[in-house]
Amino acid sequence: MSIALIQYRKNVRKRTRILAFVLALWTLAVLARLVQLQIFGHARSRAQVTQQTQAKFEISPQRGTIYDRKGNILAQSISSLTVYDSPMAGESSAQRMARVRKLETFLGLSANDLERIRSAMDRGAGNIVLKRKLNLEDDAKIRALGVPGVFAREEKMRFYPQGDLASHILGSVGVDNAGLAGVEFKHEATLQGKKGQQLVLRDAHRREYRFETLVEPQRGNDLVLTIDSTIQYFAQKALEGAIQKYRASWGTVIISHPATGEVLAMANWPSYDPNSYPPESKEAEPNRSIQYMFDPGSTFKIVTASAALESPDISLSDVFDCRKGFIETAGAPIRDHKNFGILTFPEVIIHSSNVGTVEVGRRVGAGALYQMIKAFKFGERTGIELPAEALGKVHPLAEWTRRSLDSVSIGYEISVTALQVLQAMNTIANRGVLVPPRIVKAVQGQPLPAVANDSRILTEETARRLIPILEKAVLDGTGQSAMAKGYTVAGKTGTTQKYDPDLKGFSSSKHMASFVGFVPVETPVLSIIVVLDEPKTDEYYGGQVAAPVFREIAVRVLRYLNIHPRPDPRPAIVAANGLKEAEQ
Amino acid sequence: MVRKKFRRNELVFGALAVLLAILVLTFYLWHITENIRLGYAIGEAENQKENIRDDIKKLETKKAALSSLERVEKRAREELKLTDPRDDQIVYEDGGRNRIP
Repeated sequence: MSIALIQYRKNVRKRTRILAFVLALWTLAVLARLVQLQIFGHARSRAQVTQQTQAKFEISPQRGTIYDRKGNILAQSISSLTVYDSPMAGESSAQRMARVRKLETFLGLSANDLERIRSAMDRGAGNIVLKRKLNLEDDAKIRALGVPGVFAREEKMRFYPQGDLASHILGSVGVDNAGLAGVEFKHEATLQGKKGQQLVLRDAHRREYRFETLVEPQRGNDLVLTIDSTIQYFAQKALEGAIQKYRASWGTVIISHPATGEVLAMANWPSYDPNSYPPESKEAEPNRSIQYMFDPGSTFKIVTASAALESPDISLSDVFDCRKGFIETAGAPIRDHKNFGILTFPEVIIHSSNVGTVEVGRRVGAGALYQMIKAFKFGERTGIELPAEALGKVHPLAEWTRRSLDSVSIGYEISVTALQVLQAMNTIANRGVLVPPRIVKAVQGQPLPAVANDSRILTEETARRLIPILEKAVLDGTGQSAMAKGYTVAGKTGTTQKYDPDLKGFSSSKHMASFVGFVPVETPVLSIIVVLDEPKTDEYYGGQVAAPVFREIAVRVLRYLNIHPRPDPRPAIVAANGLKEAEQ
Repeated sequence: MVRKKFRRNELVFGALAVLLAILVLTFYLWHITENIRLGYAIGEAENQKENIRDDIKKLETKKAALSSLERVEKRAREELKLTDPRDDQIVYEDGGRNRIP
């Protein structure tokens, strides 16, 4: 072997070693990088990949449908589109915002929307909602725009097909489909269902190629209300007409079935369309039937009369001197609107004499009257399945002043809701049995059990003696405008002077007019209360403005219920034994 | 080195074994593919069912909106010029019984 060959082989070995060393170094570097990426940087890399290729979305459950008692749809969830923006890798929030601005016109983004989106981007939020409640057809248009990172998802939108019908009962939901008011809020747990979860896989171009449902959403339960859409419509139309005619500030009407306590309609004015909640005017939002308290005035005389008839010290033939037209009491005297002369007990109620009722109250006594007020459950919530029901206000007996007995006897110094007054009238219509009102009839097709807390608070005899008096109040007394031809009606008017804080006394120009009654007297099918606040016409008495609304509603609803007028309904006679007898 | 000669029977069995293996593999692949295809078809059918359900809901809602009393009364009064009947124009059905709601 020559020296040259030996030298050549040495060189080759040396170069081979150098190359092997370099390759080993390179391999080590690659291994080190792999260790760095896959072991030490595993979590971070995994998160980055997941963020770029996967996204998890909540699947909104189908919210339960709300029906009226006849199966008409009052609220239903239908599919709509929600548009999101997802961040691109290495993109600043300014770049992201610029991308979103391309859709500003198409999506109709307001200044508030843009501000909300910008602040979410500044916080580094992942998927940001750009717009909700778009039509499903808009999906293709959004795809056609080809804005990267922007995509749409199908979600559920609440729709109220009847517009403002029963809006105060139904309430509404927010953008997240959670109930905000009314039945939607009160029965959130029943209606909402359970959210599901969806996994979406995306390719390198962030195009979605696979959808996987991780958790199936559970549909909410349907709710059947006691209200009847047609009766509700009659009530709303009649109320709206009365508000316009008498230029009242607000009004409320409740219609119920006395024997079951089922509310058939609950109308309020001003009203709103739950499809665009919250209403523009805050005045339209409250459900005044249960959330507003007022001094009931003369409608409360049914409580005083009940206490009197339960008392052994008062009989129907007792007379009361109302000739002066006023009665002295602590503070300003209490007056009648005219001099009635000498009145029997029934006549006191029929003509709604304040003087006579104060005298009746004095004979009954504060303790017995207070007990009767509590028995009728004034100052307590009725328990109707609606939110924010007011308690009413009944001062404890220990806090009554020297004037309180006289004031409370005629419905002042006490605050009630319209529903509480109707509950009291229902008790009389039910011959002394108090049946709490209810508005939910069934959940998911299962009827709710009958209310267990019905309670007798008046003897049947008391109710049977009082009903003809209330019937006479409609036939001959202050409630004549409530008389529906062909039907027997019992009821009581109320006209309350409102307290004026500026005058620090009761206003002579601001009144609240009301009428509460039931029909037909023999087998009450309907009980109705009408309350109108501050009628601004020459007519402002309950018998003038609220009683005609009662009649209008009663006649329409009875016809609708196929209860025909009789050619000659028997006029009531208040006999000494308190029973109604037919005129011969 | 002497090349081994296979007997005819061995060759036939071998060929059959290979064929069987190919058949099993083919069946397995077909089975997997068919499963996936059916999965897609079921998914598609489920989607269609959901879409139809959704359409039904929308139609129900639309029907409710179209038959709302407000709308019906407006059309009856404004387009058809209908008015409320007078009391003497109302004929009550014979045998109509009181109905408690």
